[in-house]
Order: sequence, then C-alpha cells, then structure tokens
Amino acid sequence: MSEPFRRVPEGIKVDLPDSLRQWLASIANETSEGAVTMSSPAHRRLLGPIDPSQDHDDPVTELQRQFAVEGSLGVLIATANATLLSDDEAEEWIRALQLMLAATAASMAIVDEEDLRNLNEENTEIVTTLQAGISLMMEALDA
Amino acid sequence: MTQGDTDLITGTDQMLDVPWEVILWNDPVSLISLVVRVLRKVFSYDLAKAERMTMQVHNEGKSVVWSGDKEQAAAYCVALHGYALTATIQRAQ
Repeated sequence: MSEPFRRVPEGIKVDLPDSLRQWLASIANETSEGAVTMSSPAHRRLLGPIDPSQDHDDPVTELQRQFAVEGSLGVLIATANATLLSDDEAEEWIRALQLMLAATAASMAIVDEEDLRNLNEENTEIVTTLQAGISLMMEALDA
Repeated sequence: MTQGDTDLITGTDQMLDVPWEVILWNDPVSLISLVVRVLRKVFSYDLAKAERMTMQVHNEGKSVVWSGDKEQAAAYCVALHGYALTATIQRAQ
C-alpha cells in the first residue's frame, strides 16, 4: 500500500481504502452526534467547563467550542471520500481524528496508560489506527 | 469608607493582578508529537520549549503552558480543546 497521506503541490493526496474511509466517517458521525447531545461521559469530558471552579462556561465560550468540534468533524465527514485535501482541510482532519480518538478513549474508559495496555485486541486496533492516522497526516502536512 | 471597605477593595485589586494559567493535562492516548505540534501552533513556541512542556505533561501529569489575562487564557484553552487536549484555566497559585 502506498502512503495514505502524501504532500503534493496542490495539497495533501489521500490514498485510503474505501472501507477505512467509511469507518472514519462513521466514527466522525458518532462523535459529532454525541457532542451535540452531550450524551456520553466522553463528550461531557470533551466539552466540560474550561474553569473547573464553574459548572458551565460562559455561553460564548460554549458556542465557540461547539462550533469548533462540529466544524472539524464536519470537514472530515464531508471530505471522507476526497483524494485531495487542502492544507486547511488536512489540519481539520488532524483535529477531527484527535476528537474521535479522545471520544473513543473515554468511551473505552481509558484513564491511564495501564487501561491502554489492558485493552482487548479490537479496541487496541481502533486506538492505534486513529493514532497512526494523526501521525501520518501530521508528517504529510508538515513535510 | 470603612476600614473593611478599604480591605475589600485592596483585596479585589490584588485579585485582578493575579494572572490566570492555562493548565495542560496528561492523557494516555494523545501522541507526544501531536502535543508538541499543537503547543507550537497555538502559542508559537519554539520546538525546545514545546518539547519541554510536553515532557512535563507526560512525566508529571500537567504543565502550566501559559499565564496572563483571563480572556486570553480562555481563548488558548478553547484552542487546545479544538485538538481534544485536556486543558483548564485557573488563577495562578
């Protein structure tokens, strides 16, 4: 398999199997829906107050964070089948993959390194796939 | 104005002078390379400073990555959350 993300003059060339693209889009959709409804501990962690001494952020800050999360995940969902990304879109992929990784880790109750080591094979593969995507996209974008 | 009022105002003034800190917390899944990259991007830190702070987060569980006024601290914290990093703000101890 060739490099999944590669720097070209026009931006970042994406070479991923269709099955992986669909998988990424489905996780992005799940993460986005959860972020809107705050339906899980994972999303409450992602969007908890920035000042722990307060129950809630001010409304402007809450909106900024909600837009940022939905924006990044929305870009990944919209461009999941793209073969060429602009640099800005590639940066949003990194944000989205990180959000998906954090939400996935929280849903798997990964709190520390020991939890990570004790994951079963299937969940380990999910985490390492998302981490690899982030790492490879950073390499391509910063090349 | 009573002595109590004076104390109250002086205390408030002192609180206004206390900077706010952005605390970055360790998490077990974010890549070290990602954290370094985000610190450089959000705060424009040089590589050595970003790496030093990242390793402090990794080894000690947290690092104060910026301090200053509350509004800017909140903006930086939101920027870190945009990369799903665990960050909070607090008054400097």
